[in-house]
Amino acid sequence: MRANDAIAGLVLIVLSIVMIALTASFPDFPGQKYGPSLFPRILGAGLIVCGGILIWNGLTARRMGAPWVELAPWVREPRRLVTFFLVLALLLLYIFAAETVGFIPLALLFLVTLFLWLGVRPWIAAATAVVGTFTIYWFFATLLRVPLPRGWLNSIL
Amino acid sequence: MNALLEASRLIFDPYVLWVIAASAAFGMFVGAMPGLTATMATALLVPVTFFMDPVPALGAIVTATAMAIFAGDIPAALLRIPGTPASAAYTDESYAMSKNGQLDLNLGVNLVFSVLGGFVGVAILIICAPALAEVAINFSSFEYFWLALLGLTCAVFMTSDVPLKGITSLLFGLAVNCIGIDPAAGYPRFTFGSVELLQGISFIPAMIGMFALSELLRGMVHADATGAVIAQRIGNIFSGVFGVFKRYWFNFLRGSAIGVLIGALPGAGADIAAWISFAISKRFSKEPEKFGTGHIEGIVDATSANNSALGGAWIPALVFGIPGDSITAIVIGVLYMKGMNPGPTVFLQNPQFIYAVFIIFVLANILMLPLGWIAIKGGKQLLRVPRNVLLPVILMFCLVGSYAMTNSVYGVIMMVVMGLIGWLMEEHGFPIAPAILGLVLGEMLEQNFMTSMIKADGAFVMFFERPIAATLGVVTLLIWGTMLWRGIKGRPATLSEVAPAP
Repeated sequence: MRANDAIAGLVLIVLSIVMIALTASFPDFPGQKYGPSLFPRILGAGLIVCGGILIWNGLTARRMGAPWVELAPWVREPRRLVTFFLVLALLLLYIFAAETVGFIPLALLFLVTLFLWLGVRPWIAAATAVVGTFTIYWFFATLLRVPLPRGWLNSIL
Repeated sequence: MNALLEASRLIFDPYVLWVIAASAAFGMFVGAMPGLTATMATALLVPVTFFMDPVPALGAIVTATAMAIFAGDIPAALLRIPGTPASAAYTDESYAMSKNGQLDLNLGVNLVFSVLGGFVGVAILIICAPALAEVAINFSSFEYFWLALLGLTCAVFMTSDVPLKGITSLLFGLAVNCIGIDPAAGYPRFTFGSVELLQGISFIPAMIGMFALSELLRGMVHADATGAVIAQRIGNIFSGVFGVFKRYWFNFLRGSAIGVLIGALPGAGADIAAWISFAISKRFSKEPEKFGTGHIEGIVDATSANNSALGGAWIPALVFGIPGDSITAIVIGVLYMKGMNPGPTVFLQNPQFIYAVFIIFVLANILMLPLGWIAIKGGKQLLRVPRNVLLPVILMFCLVGSYAMTNSVYGVIMMVVMGLIGWLMEEHGFPIAPAILGLVLGEMLEQNFMTSMIKADGAFVMFFERPIAATLGVVTLLIWGTMLWRGIKGRPATLSEVAPAP
């Protein structure tokens, strides 16, 4: 997916204005001309200039016939599109469920789902998922002492 | 001299040597797998090295990256797919040689000249870094301000084919870096009441996101794409290499020198070094018509250059704390986490670490010869590892790695957000390297800028009063001027024109 530069420029300008507006609440330090708001404001101004030129370029390209949004070829293939969103969905699931469900069940689900979707044969998918999950758990939780969330398995581990 | 002995004692320890050997194998594997880059190898190693002492941590990164840059040449010759972007410049040439039946010679030359180029890189690093550190010890905030700005300017000048997008990317990185406690006055900015944002964007999860997750997203979507491995037996790869050396020794020296130079310039690393040295080789060759038909000459230049660039990139990283490429950008993040702020003072206070880096570089290049030979021999089996099994496992590794950096889901959130931003940026033609450099150098730039502004108190002449500051300032302004001028004239404004986007 590739949006016209004008859209990118517009987003940048809006974000920069928000950033500069937020600096208004930063305190000044008595006796000093320059406070914590100076640097973000300079950057914001720079980004607004860049955004402006991007909009100009984007509109010029648009007049030459460029579309507002250009789709990459893979987006038209439903299978690939699903892969993309499946990965994101699994990552989001991990973020929201990690503390309650725990690392091991989620990692197994994560790996088996992706393997099967990407066409790995079921028994290889299951075996690799189990070996992969427990190797990663052993390496990080046991060897490096990272407190990976235990969740459901809290009483067993 | 004591520091040198201390450094050797730190390295020749069974545990450290084991770490170096393991990271060498890891680097070879990651480099040889198309779609996994040397920078990604570094980002994936960091969560593991986080739990180590500084010397094994640095040893792991130095060794893995050196191996990965060489290993990228193997699939280039066998599959016509570069293993890392650093091999992209001569992939077609390598594959053409394989088709002409010169696969052995090609792989042998790639291995031997990668090792030799690596040695040139580390030799120049050993000579230059301490000398530069002595100059840098006298720098004040004005010099550091200009130096940081010059570094960021170089990043735009070197890496983006559309300078406007490079500058935007850079400003974006700097703006993201403003999140957290501000370095001059200690006021929390843009934290929206979040305790986790107080310490700023967690650097390593952000790197894993931008360099690994965005790449994996692209890779997963095309997980079914595979190339056909060339069906040729690999024989004695070292026969004929000496003849190539006798004929093209000048190309080797020129390529290595260009590699170190480009590696040392902030923002540009091994991949751009390979493109530029390959282009120069063709331009000054006596037989330019042979390029593209499977001719070894340009490969000698470029394969030496990408390995020497690795050493070159450490020069500004160690001396000024300004990364020479995206790998050293991550290294600088690691050094800060370990409480060793890179800069000339490390040379005075902890010289054993500097010597340790030198020794590891030499060791890694010695190790590359046997390990590279094994990787070449096993190359075909290595390339048979199915991507649809490999990519999900690596994704899992990224997830756990970024979790480990903060011991909370916050690291994972950071990785996903930055990964998506990185993916979107690349889709829209915004180069990632300037944003990363902005993230790494933002604090240094702002701190020295604010200190200088307060010192100068409105008298901007002070930014140019000290001789070195004045020189750096004038050079920076000149580069900006040139870019603007060429931009207005509609001519290519940056150096990366030789390196077409892949």
